[in-house]
Amino acid sequence: MKYEMNCGLETHVELATETKIFCSCTTRFGGAPNTHCCPICTGQPGVLPFLNKKATEFAVRAGLAVGCKVNTVTHMDRKNYCYPDLPKAYQISQLDKPLSYGGFIELDSGKKIGITRIHIEEDAGKLVHERGNTFVDYNRGGVPLIEIVSEPDISSAAEAREYAEKLQLIMRYIGVSDCKMQEGSMRCDVNVSLCPAGSGKLGVRTEIKNMNSLSFMEKAIEYECERQAEILDEGGVIEQATLRFDEHTGETYVMRTKEDAQDYRYFPEPDILTVIIPEETVERIKSELPELPFDKMRRYTDELGINAKNARLMCRYKNLCLWFESALSYGASVKHSVNLITGVIFSFLSTEENKEKFDLNLTAAEFAKLVKYLDEGKITVSVAQSALLQMLQSGKCVNEFITEDVLLGTSDGELEKICQDAIAANPQAVADYVGGKEKAIFALYGFIKRATQGKADMNKVNNILSELLNK
Amino acid sequence: MMGISEKEFAMLARLARLEFDGERKQEFMSEFEEIINFANAVNNAVAGDTESIKDTGGDNVMFEELREDTVKESLPNEKITSGVTPVNGYFTVKRVVK
Ligand SMILES: [Zn+2]
Repeated sequence: MKYEMNCGLETHVELATETKIFCSCTTRFGGAPNTHCCPICTGQPGVLPFLNKKATEFAVRAGLAVGCKVNTVTHMDRKNYCYPDLPKAYQISQLDKPLSYGGFIELDSGKKIGITRIHIEEDAGKLVHERGNTFVDYNRGGVPLIEIVSEPDISSAAEAREYAEKLQLIMRYIGVSDCKMQEGSMRCDVNVSLCPAGSGKLGVRTEIKNMNSLSFMEKAIEYECERQAEILDEGGVIEQATLRFDEHTGETYVMRTKEDAQDYRYFPEPDILTVIIPEETVERIKSELPELPFDKMRRYTDELGINAKNARLMCRYKNLCLWFESALSYGASVKHSVNLITGVIFSFLSTEENKEKFDLNLTAAEFAKLVKYLDEGKITVSVAQSALLQMLQSGKCVNEFITEDVLLGTSDGELEKICQDAIAANPQAVADYVGGKEKAIFALYGFIKRATQGKADMNKVNNILSELLNK
Repeated sequence: MMGISEKEFAMLARLARLEFDGERKQEFMSEFEEIINFANAVNNAVAGDTESIKDTGGDNVMFEELREDTVKESLPNEKITSGVTPVNGYFTVKRVVK
């Protein structure tokens, strides 16, 4: 390729606090228009914003989770722009003293994507354009956001997606946001620039605003890359601009030629005091960070011996991992637990949302009891699978489904007796088998399956039969 | 009605590093008059409860002194939109291009 792409992401993440960033109105999604509002979040004159402690803590936690350093002396700034979704005609944000800076996200390839800064700011209201009118709802106005700004280290659409997915997973793990792109609690602005391969210089960048789906983001980056390459091929120059991606046409359109920071006339916010975050507070927040997804994945493969594919699959869902680890603490084996989770439980939960919530009708302790029957060879995999499914559907405990007769059919003594019966009842098949026709043994299998109603452990059956037939 | 003198306007423009031609100047001067009148209306408003507001006594606030994340009731929609003519609870503005 003649050109190299440099791409950086600005990711807005809505923080999962109960109240807005500068007032005590609820952050609850939805609600009738302008019912989660007060004089502060509608920008009435004479009011004073009061910074939310939890939002500040969440922003620090987010920074620490991606290896950022924390500015222990920080302040807010006014970013001036006039648009009806901002009732004050400015947004309270941070310019020169963001809450944290200098972290990274590591991709699977080992490449690190730098995180320049994470700052805290207020969300804008929502505009509804209808029949030639514009209506404004300020319920979302003042909801706390963090903006996570990456370095332009990303060099393909796939890397951009991987970076965003990893960021999303980390933010969910540490509980600062649900990061639902379809509901707008995570949105990405993407900067794209091209430069001649090997030149090492950054080209003129364009910014695609408000991507709310990862696959659209990938498409938008690819399209924009091609568009810029065509212009450069023809000897043209790229104009710095803010673009919009049209999901229907798959093309980007210019919204406005890009404003620079100076157009926003930033200045320190006079209504909010400088915030001091003591070192002990930073240390406390750091010590309370949970195990992060990629550390967990490594532990699952290296210490628990789970294969990489399943470890990756499970670690996408934090609640699932906690439940699984709890089952292990009740004595369930790793191998059978993982197989039942990735087989039966995943298909039972089916949607991403259900797996994310992991709100099961089944305790880890009860699941562990079932797994232990399997571990001890008292039931077969297929019995365990069907019992698990019934437990999930009914919410009933394991003993409702693993009854004495299920266990009986597979006890070693009983199984040997059934195998002997099978041999006695099928003299011709036995003769054929001993004579070298291996397939003849299927007649014995059929007999045993019928006699045990499919509950026999076929590995054990094989062992017993080969012992009996080789005598 | 309080206005703003040409001299005051020239000083403000210089402070803001903005240039105005004749027509724009007249336009802005009359807007300033409206702003000043509005600020005066706010000055004359009856103050609410200021007794319970703690004197922060400095330029800094410690993390622990920040606001707790506890929901308080918002204002009813009628109050929030009382200064305007709402449509189905929404504020209405001049159409902005999407
Ligand atoms: Zn409010």
